[in-house]
Amino acid sequence: MLRAMRQAIEREAALPRQPRTASRERALFANFFLRELRTRYLGSATGLAWALVHPLVLLAVYYVVFTQIFRVASFATGSFLAFVAVALWPWLAAQEALQRGTVSLAGYAGLIRKAAFPHESIVHASVAATLALQFAGYVVVLAALRALGEPVRVEGLLLAVPLWLVMAIAVTGVTFALASLQVFVRDVEHVLMPLLMMLMYLTPILYPLAIVPESLRPWVAANPFGWLVTRMRDALLEGRLAPQWGDLVALGVALALYALGLAMFRRLSPHFEDFV
Amino acid sequence: MSAAGPSQGASRSPSGGSAAAPAASVGAPVPPSLAAAVAAPKDALVALDGVGKDYAKLAPAGGRLRLVADLLRGRAAASTFTALDGVGFAMRRGESLAVVGENGAGKSTLLKIVAGVVRPTRGSVAVNGRVAALLELGSGFHPDYTGYANIDLAAALLGMDAAEIARRREAIVEFADIGTHIHDPIKTYSSGMVVRLGFAIATALAPDVLITDEVLAVGDESFQRKCVAWMEDYLGRGGTLLLCSHSMYHVQKLCAHALWLEHGRPRMYGTAADVAREYLAYHEARAEKAGGPRRAHAGDYGVTALVVSPVGGGAEVDPARGFEVGVEVHSPDGRAPVIAVGVVRADGTPVYGTTSELDGAAPLRRADGTFAFALRFHDLPLLPGHYRVRAHAMDPEGMRLFDHHEAPFVVAGATRELGYCRLPHEWSSGGRGA
Repeated sequence: MLRAMRQAIEREAALPRQPRTASRERALFANFFLRELRTRYLGSATGLAWALVHPLVLLAVYYVVFTQIFRVASFATGSFLAFVAVALWPWLAAQEALQRGTVSLAGYAGLIRKAAFPHESIVHASVAATLALQFAGYVVVLAALRALGEPVRVEGLLLAVPLWLVMAIAVTGVTFALASLQVFVRDVEHVLMPLLMMLMYLTPILYPLAIVPESLRPWVAANPFGWLVTRMRDALLEGRLAPQWGDLVALGVALALYALGLAMFRRLSPHFEDFV
Repeated sequence: MSAAGPSQGASRSPSGGSAAAPAASVGAPVPPSLAAAVAAPKDALVALDGVGKDYAKLAPAGGRLRLVADLLRGRAAASTFTALDGVGFAMRRGESLAVVGENGAGKSTLLKIVAGVVRPTRGSVAVNGRVAALLELGSGFHPDYTGYANIDLAAALLGMDAAEIARRREAIVEFADIGTHIHDPIKTYSSGMVVRLGFAIATALAPDVLITDEVLAVGDESFQRKCVAWMEDYLGRGGTLLLCSHSMYHVQKLCAHALWLEHGRPRMYGTAADVAREYLAYHEARAEKAGGPRRAHAGDYGVTALVVSPVGGGAEVDPARGFEVGVEVHSPDGRAPVIAVGVVRADGTPVYGTTSELDGAAPLRRADGTFAFALRFHDLPLLPGHYRVRAHAMDPEGMRLFDHHEAPFVVAGATRELGYCRLPHEWSSGGRGA
């Protein structure tokens, strides 16, 4: 399978199309990226505000539900609000990047049918735009939490930023696979939503891993997003910045996901023109 | 003679323009295999060899998953149809090639393969230069972008940097000539405006190869003229043009050579004039078949098809551009017949007539024993109104006239002049005789 994918990439490289130069890819990425920002958020009247307000509203709802209604017990460090916020935002970012990225090719259908260019730029730009905006929002939320007196540690960003980058690599890889599949099978976007919903509840975002029953804990802990969430809390709430071996494994997994997704994407992308 | 109308020199022969002959020989239909075999010289800018494209047939949702699995494993799709097969040709710098054929013949697929949008299933494609392609409407435009933003996008698609495009932007806007619409999203444009902008961008990018797919069919008259003038200049400067058009006039005016595709396969490759004549004759024959049996007696010379088509398409004839006449004649003994062809008014009054013998025009002999004539009337002095083309088949000696066929046409325009023919004249201010 891997050999077949490598061959596909080599074939791709031998294609008689426009020169596949780095400057051209950069120019395209920049163009698509700016457009994503402009049309997605800044184009509409409430767009950018909503991108910031939406997770805050969600956070408020969860706060009310879990502290006023369910009365979740307090945690070692900080409040439930900070506990959830630190994990929820990266999750929302990944979820949105996956969802938008999966359908991103359809938005460029006219271009794909009529112009020769590396289609990877579209997915790269879509994911990058979503994550960039969400990261900006994350910083705003962390600042808001600090202003509210929550024990959010600024130096935690030293680890949080690399964690976001690892997440971006992995999310881009998965998006490559989903986006290329979506071109042929339109069900992907519809199946994705409930799947992400399930994954969210199986990830210790709204609850700590500690309250998961002993028998289920390995399963929940094996969830790669669970690792990310845990490390994010380590960094931003506990101030534990020392790298772990697990971080290297996570990076390896992310790079592997990226390589596999890209290989699949490149194998299918010559056929986009006919199906998109 | 100051009021003599448009210049006669406007329609120069396309075959005289390009010095470099293509690899394939000129004249009679070249078998596709030959065209492919002799093509591909070393200095070719574009070289295709044995190119074919199969498209997967759209399967219901369940089959789509299997299709993806097949594609991922590098297999061919289970069920395909062949859009293009066995196409080969080579173009050197400065050459021009027209691709003609009916709808669905594979013209667009071929152009997309050269442009790099479509990857061929078979064969090899080599393009050694910067390609600008105008495929269908608004090639490479994003509908939500403004005209301005699309200029930047087009530049990015070609790998241009921001400074380079900034230098050319004003020229593009000026050439497109769409006013303040340049700041509106493309999706609000009319098709003519989209083509204007697309052509303006393509021209400004100084491509080594320009690929255009029927763009000339959309723009208005003056823009078409501007485009044709630009393309002639581009060819004169050594540009390479790959054109797809239904207008045999454009094909012959802009291209030295032509490739006729039929059901995805090359049917004929030769000079633009030869291919255009054959192609028109083919259509006349088809129109004849569709129109019912009108053939003359088997023992006589007889017109079997008469087709009149305004240059540049449309229903009415623009007097400056004129119209094309295609006549197919049956010969009972295999000798080349003569035809008389002319124009009469709607009421039958003769306006003008000539014969192929008078003009020394030889018909094209076709495989089925018929002979095809093609001629173009241009710079018509006719006033707007209804006319008919009349054609008669004559024997090879030009002595006997056998039959009588007519096809109506309309000269476009409005005028308050009188008569049916505009005579060159001028007014002098002095009143010499008075």
